[in-house]
Amino acid sequence: MGTNILSIGQSALNAAQIGISTTGHNIANASTPGYSRQVVVQVAAQAQNFGYGYVGQGTDVSSIRRVYSELLTRQVVNSQSVSSGVNAYSAQLNTIDNMLSDASAGLNPTLKSFFDSVQDLTANPSDTPTRQAMLSNAQSLANRFQSTSTRLNEIREGVNTQLSSSVGLVNSYAKQIASLNDVIEKAISADGNPPNDLMDQRDQLVLELSKEIKTTVVPQSKGSYNIFLGNGLPLVVGTDTFSMTTVNSPTDPTRLEVAYQSKTKTTILSGDSLPGGTIGGLIKFRDESLDAVQNQLGQIAVVLAGTFNAQHQQGLDQNGNPGGALFNIPDPAVNASGYNTGNAVVASKILDPRAVTASDYRLQYDGTNYYITRLSDKQMSTFTSLPQNLDGLSFDVASGTIAAGDDFVIRPTQNAATSINLAISDVSKLAVGGPVLSSAANVANTGSGSITAPAASGTYGASPLASGFSLTYNSGTNTLTGFPASQAVTVTSGGTTTTFAAGAPVTFTAGATITVAGLSFTVSGTPANGDQFTITPNTTNAPGDNRNGLLLAGLQTQGTVNNKTTYASAFGQLVNTVGNKTRELKVTAAAEAVVLEQATAAVQSESGVNLDEEATNLLRYQQAYQAAGKMMQIASQLFEVLLQLGQ
Amino acid sequence: MRISTNTIYQAGINKIGALQSEQAKLQQQISTGKRITSPSDDPVAAARVLELSYQQGVNAKFADNRETAKIKLNTLESNLTSVTNLLVSTQSTLVGAGNGVYSNQERAFIATELQGSLDALIGLANTKDAYGNYLYSGFQSDTTPFTATATGATYAGDSNEQLLQVDAQRQMATNVTGNNVFQAGGNDIFTTLKSLVTLLNTPITDATTQAAFTSGLATAIGGLQGSVDNVLTVRANVGSKLNELDALDTAGSDRNLQYEKSLSDLQDLDYASALSDLAKQQTIMEAAQKSFVATTGLSLFDYI
Repeated sequence: MGTNILSIGQSALNAAQIGISTTGHNIANASTPGYSRQVVVQVAAQAQNFGYGYVGQGTDVSSIRRVYSELLTRQVVNSQSVSSGVNAYSAQLNTIDNMLSDASAGLNPTLKSFFDSVQDLTANPSDTPTRQAMLSNAQSLANRFQSTSTRLNEIREGVNTQLSSSVGLVNSYAKQIASLNDVIEKAISADGNPPNDLMDQRDQLVLELSKEIKTTVVPQSKGSYNIFLGNGLPLVVGTDTFSMTTVNSPTDPTRLEVAYQSKTKTTILSGDSLPGGTIGGLIKFRDESLDAVQNQLGQIAVVLAGTFNAQHQQGLDQNGNPGGALFNIPDPAVNASGYNTGNAVVASKILDPRAVTASDYRLQYDGTNYYITRLSDKQMSTFTSLPQNLDGLSFDVASGTIAAGDDFVIRPTQNAATSINLAISDVSKLAVGGPVLSSAANVANTGSGSITAPAASGTYGASPLASGFSLTYNSGTNTLTGFPASQAVTVTSGGTTTTFAAGAPVTFTAGATITVAGLSFTVSGTPANGDQFTITPNTTNAPGDNRNGLLLAGLQTQGTVNNKTTYASAFGQLVNTVGNKTRELKVTAAAEAVVLEQATAAVQSESGVNLDEEATNLLRYQQAYQAAGKMMQIASQLFEVLLQLGQ
Repeated sequence: MRISTNTIYQAGINKIGALQSEQAKLQQQISTGKRITSPSDDPVAAARVLELSYQQGVNAKFADNRETAKIKLNTLESNLTSVTNLLVSTQSTLVGAGNGVYSNQERAFIATELQGSLDALIGLANTKDAYGNYLYSGFQSDTTPFTATATGATYAGDSNEQLLQVDAQRQMATNVTGNNVFQAGGNDIFTTLKSLVTLLNTPITDATTQAAFTSGLATAIGGLQGSVDNVLTVRANVGSKLNELDALDTAGSDRNLQYEKSLSDLQDLDYASALSDLAKQQTIMEAAQKSFVATTGLSLFDYI
């Protein structure tokens, strides 16, 4: 009996010791990330039947178990993926939001200074300092476009770097999980007891992995985890891992894409198949916001440069020459896919800047038809041949032969803001004057008729007047004659337009707009019979001529972007788009953070260590130990009694 | 519900962190005086602010242009006043020239005086503005508009008007061309004056020359009156433009006030509510800190 009592005491002492160790372990790991509290599972030892009944044999520690809920942990993992994705997106977009928040840093202040200096030029067209100021302001405007776009490029490179490092982490976590799978499987198969701390470590790795990418975890019966990417591709299977990698986009060398590396080939994963985690968030940010912002900024640059150049080219510079381009703007960037089999080089040019959209385009050829897709709304146009014009752009095969299946991406606006610069540096080349002059033969004219300075239309520059012409008024027929022989004349008065055939006398209406040969002007007042009005092409620029300057300044308030919005409003829309999206993400991020916090609290409520509870346990096991010790002391005293009997 | 020690700490940190970021936001608003510190605070208002401040700037530039136009038109106006005065005094001189008691020699004196007036008039017509540009030569602002000849003066400028954008929808001519001032409607003032000089220098010897003198004088006085009328018309036109500029100025500054008001409504901070929010935040923060310290200060280990 005595040995029985002693062994009961010993089992109690042992259990209490294990209890204290486990409590100590819990206290030690109270703040270890991913740690689940452990509890000692104690059962009564197998009792012995002595005939009169079963006598207890003390206690057994059957196992040490971690308090763990698979369901709650999965919830945290899933919520973590969503939250990390939204946070990654939000953090990137915030940078742009902050960049645009400063009123003095946006495009508008420089845009305004630029147009102010154009206005100054109309007041003082031949003044060299004023001309210099206008060129300097044009340079500042180009610089502002460049610096804003360069900042966006930096953000783009930042996304590339982060994608690489996230993909590196994913691969590293996958390897660690696979090796833990191995150890855990072996431990369980050895004696059936779960290696609690290793399992916690593996769950923590799964959580860390879910911060980078959304995965699905499928626990296996032998204790290992199989892990699949969002779209079902395996990442960890038992002790095997598959790796992810980053590759340059086949259609855009500045863009890293996330790819899946199987044994035989590398597959680029589309943004849609990578829904969560930092990787998903970054890709979504790039596809949805960064490209859009940079394209919209580029679109403003394209439209500004295009419309300004077109108007500038209709003017006359200080040397008496037609104006050239004021801004250089690059042609649309065309990237052939790296998988193309043909050697075609596709070229695209901007034909009508006002019609250019902020979208990118994809050109595909299937052997018969050419498909041009506007990527913003996936609108596809089918053509049987090239060249074709679409949205103010031309598409053509510049050289080489296109093969079936070839794929090209055309980006008309992405690089525009980065590359815009000034085409002239000589102040005398600013074309502020108009190309055509008019005069009334005042001394000889006896009537009160006067003629306005002719305004040139966009087509005038292509076929300018070879020589001037004189209009003579005939009071008998109330007509003007002397228009260029081969040109029809239109007269617009009070909204009504009348066309006169080439060479026919034109009925005079005071104040009506007369349009001929791409020029329009007005004769008003009351001319007398035989009065003459002369229109001559301008070849020596008059120093006070500011007509083209006025037209250039007028571009400021015209709906030019998409043929309807001013430059400044277009920038306002960009700011509004970014602001709205940032706000939306802030709200989503806050909501997801609450969900994550609650899920984490739920896990903690189940598995987390409460120090007060551990203090209680400590006291309990201490007392159990003391009691067991006391019991053994009593057993010993009992034994003493027996020994004394023998003396 | 069972609470883990981690949760107690994490919840405290989260709450205090959230309060701190709200305070930082308020602090930023208060220090800038702006309700919107980044476009995402109020995307619609942020875009509207950009648009309005741009339009306000454009409006201010039109005001600048109006100032420029006023300077140019005032220079014209004062020059035209001198021209009018000169022509009126010439007219009164001529009234005397018809007097039959004047001898040939006395008429020659008047001729000399008129020649002086003609020279002065050409001088006035060739005036430059503050930028060194000729007032009356149209776009040819570096070309001397009038050159004296044996019969009067020739015009070397053109008939183009220099327009300025003085308001969103208004372009205003800020010059008048010399031919429109001095040579309009068939009356060339220089020719008229020169012919008068010649006429007065021609001695009256008999009835024929007397008749020629009388009719020549009558024609010249008529021509001179026509020129004076024309200059006055041009002056009236300049004056009405100056009036219009004043009216546009009033409208422009009204618009500016409206922009100011709209901008203020959109972006300015309501200080009273912001400061009261800040005070409230501080109270909550203090409570959160105290309760955090109180909660975490309790530990059973203290009693073991």
